[in-house]
Amino acid sequence: MYWGGNPAECHPRHFTKYTIMQKSKFLPRGRKDRTMVLVDIRETKSANAADIFLQIKPGKDFELITILRAMIKDEYVADEQINATGLTRETLDDLIRRMKAAKFGCMFFGMGLSMTRGKHMNSAALLMLAAEMNAFTKFVAMPMRGHGNVTGADVIMRWQTGYPFGISFNRGYPRYNPGEFSTVDVLVRGDCDAAFIIGADPGGTMPQPAIDHLKRIPTIVLDPHITHTSALARVHITTAPQGIAAPGTAYRMDELPMPLKPALKSPYPSDEEVVRRINEAIARKPFWLPDGSQPQMLTRQV
Amino acid sequence: MSLSVINNATCTFCGCVCDDIQLHHDEMRIHKANKACVLGTAWFLNHTAEKKYPMALIDGREASLDDAIEMAATLLHEADMPLVYGMSNTTCEAQKECVALADQLGGLLDSHTSL
Ligand code: SF4
Repeated sequence: MYWGGNPAECHPRHFTKYTIMQKSKFLPRGRKDRTMVLVDIRETKSANAADIFLQIKPGKDFELITILRAMIKDEYVADEQINATGLTRETLDDLIRRMKAAKFGCMFFGMGLSMTRGKHMNSAALLMLAAEMNAFTKFVAMPMRGHGNVTGADVIMRWQTGYPFGISFNRGYPRYNPGEFSTVDVLVRGDCDAAFIIGADPGGTMPQPAIDHLKRIPTIVLDPHITHTSALARVHITTAPQGIAAPGTAYRMDELPMPLKPALKSPYPSDEEVVRRINEAIARKPFWLPDGSQPQMLTRQV
Repeated sequence: MSLSVINNATCTFCGCVCDDIQLHHDEMRIHKANKACVLGTAWFLNHTAEKKYPMALIDGREASLDDAIEMAATLLHEADMPLVYGMSNTTCEAQKECVALADQLGGLLDSHTSL
């Protein structure tokens, strides 16, 4: 089941490599042994690949997931509530019958679910639906991640700090609070007084008030290209593109780490090298506590 | 001219991170990316080893890498609440250095995930 995503155009090899086309020991006929459902508000190219396409009304994802959660448990749902999502009771009955009859269901959800009305509450609801489906059969859910190595960023931050994103170190230890420490909010409120941007281009994607704040404060950009953000930054450093000229590791969206095999030798240094050298340069300056002293817990262990 | 071939290279353009790409390259640019999809092919073929941009820019003017690193360190060190953001199009090794940077600065750390 793909929910609010368009893999045919955004993750072109997802179908063929991972989900519906592969033949396997238990599904020897590949595509013919699988059922693909697509839930979206408009008919994208991915709908051509789907067996069942459910076109729902915009902003009704949370309602539909909640209705499904009730209906799999045979709880009462009124017709008006179902119709408000743009679907009919017959469609949902058929869907639930197929979901329960499946041996192994997998839901992939995209930004059409996690970035529209309801946001992370939508994702949470879908994860609940997947969890509750396990009373009947095996079911899992996974987000469709874009941009290369965002998954790696989650994994590395979780490993190093215990939290996946939206972290503050201003008390000397990591604290997690999305909404307070997440970048858009921080920038729109004007909380930070310097920004270090790596492998991203907020100058092209973020809301205008956030961009305005990046212009006001000293911004430092590391990128293989001169980006929108570089144009408003105090410092831009060109780095080698990962996987093409810079070696390293990248995580696949199912959290499998993959080694990179760079083909080219870049005239530019890698991100890793530049950030490490910035770290070393900062370490030579006094620590940020008012008297420059470093707390005991942060000193190097011997 | 013969091209060198790299088997099972990894594409990092989208979250699929396909690791079965065959790259044909001549050190300067990649000429062919077998098995990659349209997006992946564009990603591989659009990057070259040419020096298209200056090493670094400070206030829009060309600068040396050493000066830019020193300037970045100074600006970040002077700030009370620096933000370290992004980390999508970069390697795990660089991401680890970024966590260390935010930790050392006592700053904020965030990725695309929060959007
Ligand atoms: S080859 Fe295509 S599907 Fe595979 S990682 Fe690259 S862009 Fe994504």
